[in-house]
Amino acid sequence: MTAVPTVTPTRPASRPAPTSGPFTGAVAAEWTKLWSVRSTWWTLLAAVVTMAAAAGQLAIYAVNANTDDDPTVNPGIVDVGEIVAGALELTQYVVLALGLFAITSEYATGTIRTTLRCTPSRGRVLAAKAAVVGAVTFLTGLLIGAVGAAVARPVLGEWGRAPLGGTVADVVASAAYLALLSVLALGLAAALRGAVLTLTVLFALLMIVPLSLQEPGITVLTRIADAFPGVAGNHFLAGDTEPYPAAVGLLVLAGWAVAALALGRWALRRRDA
Amino acid sequence: MITIRALTKRFGAATAVDDLTVDIGPGQVTGFLGPNGAGKSTTMRMVLGLDRPTAGQALVNGRPYRQLRYPLHEVGALLDATGVHPARSGRAHLLAMARSNGIPARRVDEVLDLVGLDERAAGKPGRALSLGMGQRLGIAGALLGDPPVLLLDEPVNGLDPDGVRWIRRFTRGLADEGRTVLISSHLMSEMQQTADRVVVLGRGRLVADAPLADLIAARPASSVRVRGPEPAGLATLGARLAADGAAVSPDEGGLTVTGVTAGRVGDLAYELGVRLHELTPVAASLEEAFLELTAGSVEYAAGPTGGETR
Repeated sequence: MTAVPTVTPTRPASRPAPTSGPFTGAVAAEWTKLWSVRSTWWTLLAAVVTMAAAAGQLAIYAVNANTDDDPTVNPGIVDVGEIVAGALELTQYVVLALGLFAITSEYATGTIRTTLRCTPSRGRVLAAKAAVVGAVTFLTGLLIGAVGAAVARPVLGEWGRAPLGGTVADVVASAAYLALLSVLALGLAAALRGAVLTLTVLFALLMIVPLSLQEPGITVLTRIADAFPGVAGNHFLAGDTEPYPAAVGLLVLAGWAVAALALGRWALRRRDA
Repeated sequence: MITIRALTKRFGAATAVDDLTVDIGPGQVTGFLGPNGAGKSTTMRMVLGLDRPTAGQALVNGRPYRQLRYPLHEVGALLDATGVHPARSGRAHLLAMARSNGIPARRVDEVLDLVGLDERAAGKPGRALSLGMGQRLGIAGALLGDPPVLLLDEPVNGLDPDGVRWIRRFTRGLADEGRTVLISSHLMSEMQQTADRVVVLGRGRLVADAPLADLIAARPASSVRVRGPEPAGLATLGARLAADGAAVSPDEGGLTVTGVTAGRVGDLAYELGVRLHELTPVAASLEEAFLELTAGSVEYAAGPTGGETR
């Protein structure tokens, strides 16, 4: 018989067994880290303020369009949910910063080395971050969706309506959109490391590239643009039936988020921390 | 127990760690020595699964670090940068670490107590921590899971003399409890006070792996410093000593002689009628033994003109 190597013969007797599984632990650690820096709170406040401002502005535009003399633009009665979805175009960048900074701040401050020493499995770390970022941005989405609706409704006055069921559905949809987008930002940030680079790529993915594709009005290019995460998300939020059902828009966005996570995991595994 | 087998790490064309094979055993403090840039930190980072080896492997208790599910229970580490977020309090930093490995929150208070950080210090954000407090916090983090293996990278860096003494006593205590303790340093004198055994790296290669006592025994011969008012007389004395087989190097206002005793130098001076003002035996320090070992393996040595590197 071959000798079996003896492992850890000198284990201090008092050592307690782990009280949670490694994934649960990683999630708890991410949660603790997120709420123990003030910047998280500032980001949330910024998201609320941006949403309130953007929703208020869009509501004013809608009212003006209905009341000015130009009959060609007359949106008629507007759902507050529509205003909330429109206001996301700007507000999304504040919210997805939560996903972005969950990893770029770790690289910027060197805490990534502590994190990876605590949870050496790169996939587990990223999954834990995605769970926390997804949950927090979803709840943030519900909060700011409610804020946006609450601001838009009185501004719209007679030109607005807020059917309870429809508004709730719109707010939940915005929250889901923001959560998926933030996870996409997280995965991308894990692959790219730097906040500025990641934000630049996100801008390109969400706005610059799809807008450039849509601009000439060529069908093929427009269809390609429809596959981009921001456009897919907007089809989902608008409840479109063309070019694909709204649910497909959500799936496309989710696909992007999953792909970004896979890319991030691959990069984390390969790279020296 | 840390097992390192044919471990190699290249960064582009540069080889940071070159085919390193060594075992770090329990129950003693192992000093990990080498000049700056010798590959100590890179080796430690590979042991901790942070850097990926180009070849070979580093195992902790028989397994690669990246496969450990609760690594803090197996290995504690202090890296040169303690890795605390500038805006996060030390306590929250430890709490996040503890939670990641299913360690109860009260253990955070225990380790803070162990390293002597009070409530006020633990509540400070990372950016407000002094180097010494940061090191203590780092060690607190290393002890969270009460691990049998500890890796401390330059733990005395930036510590005041009290802190240095504290680290020495502390690491000694940890080794006496039967743990594997690996401490890196670029200062041999530091290891002289703490280590039982030293592993010396030079340019990424293993230069020595021996009990400290052996290294001390093998240190270079002592020298004798000679000074006097008569340069001509000293030159004569020097020539005579050199003829006797001693190594003589003239320096400012005198000679440094290796290979003979001070008594022999004094006798010769008397014989030759050379006036001396000083005759001092100089014991070679462990530092010199270390320099001798790593000579030729220093990554960034000043050239003869002082301007060139390598």
